[in-house]
Amino acid sequence: MAKQTFPGNYKSLESISRFIINQAEEAKFTPQEVYAIQTAVDEACANIIDHAYGGEDKGLIEIKVNEVKDGLRIVIYDKGEPFDPDEVPEPDITSPLEIRKERGLGIFFMRKLMDKVIFEFSQSKGNTLTLVKYKGG
Amino acid sequence: MELNIIEFKNCALLHIEGRIDSYSASRVDSTLNQLVEDGQYNLLFDMQDVTYISSSGMLTLVNWQKKLQQKSRGEIALATIPELVLSSFELAGFDQLFKIYSNSDLAMESFGKGKHG
Repeated sequence: MAKQTFPGNYKSLESISRFIINQAEEAKFTPQEVYAIQTAVDEACANIIDHAYGGEDKGLIEIKVNEVKDGLRIVIYDKGEPFDPDEVPEPDITSPLEIRKERGLGIFFMRKLMDKVIFEFSQSKGNTLTLVKYKGG
Repeated sequence: MELNIIEFKNCALLHIEGRIDSYSASRVDSTLNQLVEDGQYNLLFDMQDVTYISSSGMLTLVNWQKKLQQKSRGEIALATIPELVLSSFELAGFDQLFKIYSNSDLAMESFGKGKHG
């Protein structure tokens, strides 16, 4: 298992991606799958900064990565405001440009790119987001 | 992210290297703001060295596309997008919002007079 903690700011996103890419490559995912995992985690962490913390440098982002059978489980923790994905409407990606809604794209990406996306909140642990990707999944 | 601009009479060519994410998108935004203020409305992105684009990076481009097209001033076009980066545009449905070219010379010709026009 690999574990790393990052400051909750946009500058961390590149280091987070490097960490995740290394883990996904070690787990022998294809380049397409590595890119998908990178995207899902990057969107998750940008959402934490934007929505859970409501800005940069308000708290930390802790990431744990585990290999599971035929895949990888990534668990992301933050101590920000409870994040309820149901409050974020799914974007209508077919809508015309002029009425295109902007929010919700990050969660949409996570759900499209990963096999499991689970949001949890507890008073003691804060937000826990579990992302699972299976090889060939 | 590295960003280099070459300005021509009919368009500006923006070469980006690295990641377009929540950190770097604001720099792309302010660069586009400056170019549009200076009267450059046709903006061509050479994407061949872009390694990653996030939804916020794409939304920056989409928002400028919206502003430019609403006033019929010009548009953003994208050239030489790596396959994985293009897959993000496709997933969001944003590939439909931009003209996408396989090479930047062709794209510049579409803006009128080519490199030396």
